[in-house]
Amino acid sequence: MSRWGYFVRRVLLSIPVILFGTSATFIILRMGPIDPAGAIIGPDGDQRAYQQIRDQLGLDEPLWVQYIDFMTDLFTFNLGQSWVIHPGSTANELIIAYAPRTIWLGFWSVLIALFIGIPLGFYAGLNPNTWSDYLASFGGIVWRAMPNFWLAVIMVSLLSQSETFFFGFDWSSFVIDTPIVTAPPMDWMLDPDMGASERFTMMVAATKMILPAALVLGSSSMGNEMRIGRTAVLETVNSNYVETAKAKGVPGRILVWKHIFRNALIPLVPIITYEAFLLIGGSVLVETVFAINGLGYLFFQAAIQGDLPLVGGLMFIFILMIVFINILQDFLYTVIDPRVGYEGGA
Amino acid sequence: MELGPEDDELSLKERIMDNPRPAMIWLAGALLLLSVQFGAVAETIMSVPPWNDIVDLLPVAPGAAALAAFGDRLADLPTLLSRETIPNQGYYHPETGWENTFLGLSPAWAWAVRVALIYVYAFVWCGWLWYAYEIFREHYRYADWTPRDDMVDRLRVHRWGQFGLVIVIAFLVMALFAPAMSPTVADANLYNPYSYDFEYYDDDVGEVVTITEGAANAQSYSRGGDANIGPMQYDDFDRFAPFGTMQDGKDLFTFMAYGARVSLFIGLLYLFLAGFIATAFALLTAYYKGLVDLAVVITGDSIQAMPQLLLLIMLSVVLGGTWIAEIYNGGLILALIFAATGWPGLWRAVRGPALQVSEQEWIDAAKSFGQRPSVTMQKHMFPYVLGYLLIYSSMNLGGVIIGVAGLSFLGIGVNPPTPEWGRAVSGGQPYVETASWHISLLPGIMIVFVVTAFNALGDGIRDAIDPKIDVGGGEDEAAGSAAGGGA
Repeated sequence: MSRWGYFVRRVLLSIPVILFGTSATFIILRMGPIDPAGAIIGPDGDQRAYQQIRDQLGLDEPLWVQYIDFMTDLFTFNLGQSWVIHPGSTANELIIAYAPRTIWLGFWSVLIALFIGIPLGFYAGLNPNTWSDYLASFGGIVWRAMPNFWLAVIMVSLLSQSETFFFGFDWSSFVIDTPIVTAPPMDWMLDPDMGASERFTMMVAATKMILPAALVLGSSSMGNEMRIGRTAVLETVNSNYVETAKAKGVPGRILVWKHIFRNALIPLVPIITYEAFLLIGGSVLVETVFAINGLGYLFFQAAIQGDLPLVGGLMFIFILMIVFINILQDFLYTVIDPRVGYEGGA
Repeated sequence: MELGPEDDELSLKERIMDNPRPAMIWLAGALLLLSVQFGAVAETIMSVPPWNDIVDLLPVAPGAAALAAFGDRLADLPTLLSRETIPNQGYYHPETGWENTFLGLSPAWAWAVRVALIYVYAFVWCGWLWYAYEIFREHYRYADWTPRDDMVDRLRVHRWGQFGLVIVIAFLVMALFAPAMSPTVADANLYNPYSYDFEYYDDDVGEVVTITEGAANAQSYSRGGDANIGPMQYDDFDRFAPFGTMQDGKDLFTFMAYGARVSLFIGLLYLFLAGFIATAFALLTAYYKGLVDLAVVITGDSIQAMPQLLLLIMLSVVLGGTWIAEIYNGGLILALIFAATGWPGLWRAVRGPALQVSEQEWIDAAKSFGQRPSVTMQKHMFPYVLGYLLIYSSMNLGGVIIGVAGLSFLGIGVNPPTPEWGRAVSGGQPYVETASWHISLLPGIMIVFVVTAFNALGDGIRDAIDPKIDVGGGEDEAAGSAAGGGA
């Protein structure tokens, strides 16, 4: 099978995956023990409003009609509306309002993890079995084992007392005055009438406010990237072509940059894309602790407050995101590494 | 271990009969070790799984009650390492010193002695089991050498894996011996504090006074500032708190020890279920390939396409009000949900090895020989997959512990009053910056230790099974699951 044939097969396979995942969501939400309308109205809602909601959600239709409605609505991006959190607003509006903060958080947590994890891992791999290698490796392992929610709690309290812990360094007035546990302002991204300097100040503030949360959210990925990066460099350093290049007299700097790093990056591709899984799941906890009202926070609030239609819509978006990232990973693989095996490597 | 009925081979039983001495010595030692703790063993069997709930579920089995009564009777037998033998709860009387504690020691020391003895006992047991393996290897095994010996030898020099093993054992001991390890009685301190009372010496009155645990808890909570019972401190009622008290005055160490039980119960049940599904699917897909493989790939991908933590939140909410969520205060349902959402990760990890072994000649041979597929899978494929299953199970267990803690941090999953580590972190969250930092910090550090240890043990097993194993291949999956879906 050619490389692109393999890629096309992967893309085609994602269609049943999306269908399956969405159907599972339907089964959980509509056929589970919870009555969506009852959850929305609460235990002491009145009967008329209850019946109205049932009618609007189509809960009295036969199950297969409900199923077809549910699926067609989702696949035409008609994600329904919120009933409890923001009664009346559609799920699409809510997602557009909440998503920028989560995207900003995800962007920075990927970036921080990449720019700390990979260099550390490569450094450890180039200096194997030295004290700095042990320190970096051990640090990565422990860092990875820390639960995000706990790390977030500790981070918040360290930062709010940064003067006592970091010898007078005050985080909240560092560079620009910002509160610690608040959602970053995202207007600068969307508001067209903003002046350039104001936009820049706001962006700096938003970046600074997101950094601690991003560091926490990226923590486990950072540890993974470090570990895999280290092993990859070690394997590449000991491979034959590097030996050959050395024997030919290729200077050290070129050897490291051209021959070692590029090849060591390949096994890191799945790790970087795998972060998406962790980011989407972890965003619930990190956003809760840092009080960032993003998509994870929205999902959690919708779930515990019984806003099940919104939960279904959000879940669909998450499924799409993950499937898209998986396809992206396969695409990167197809482009970067011609050696990737296509047999049995689903 | 059934090797087939060849004439010159004896069963293990016959081999032991031929040379009973080493086995008998070992057995005598084991019985001795068991006898000092017999009551506790029975008690643990009676108390760790939620028997009452299980019995309620089952159709009325005649004799269940009698059996339970018998179990409880056994549980009453005196044991060496128990609160009764080495009591640590007493009070300080200005004239006579410590009353009601072990040898008149202070509660802190009495507790320390008990915990130290428990760990000594546990590690003696580990040593004794190791000795059993050596006896078997030396006296009763046919082969002088098996590939497993090499694995064991590699593990013997693998310091990182041993570090993991020691911490994992320490964690298991903490969970198993929770009633004896904790400085207070869980039922009195955590569950029904107003139904129990105890005595202490009141300086103001100048005599011994009785107070309920609940009233005492209400005066020894840790909420920062002056209201703080930190680690290794006594409260006003001469109760010793090795990890300090929680924000509601309960003893944090007791909470942690019982929380370890909950985590372990959920983790092991998850591993058992998910491991079973994953192995069964891996063997089936590797043997039959084709459409079966494709179907499982799509199912697994679909489950993985839903972020695990969000799926857990959704399912916990949806199933929250049902009868199954009552069992073990939500522990059972959590294990089931984890298994239902977690098996694809485990399956992907063992699928590669299963596919590899299915390509071997001996599988072809077995097929053409006319062996039934189920027998081929069990006898010729499963042993090869088992090692890999162990590696990823160990790494997964850490992830489950983090995941469960993350959910209870959010207030879903395991409900109060059943202790769960994540709830301690969330309870102590407002006080991290104050003197009562220990409520959030210590459980978190424990999680870090235990998860690191499970990862280290996984690394150790991996290096022991195959030092040349492909590190890049399956590790990303395991690494992801080890993070508990991002919790």
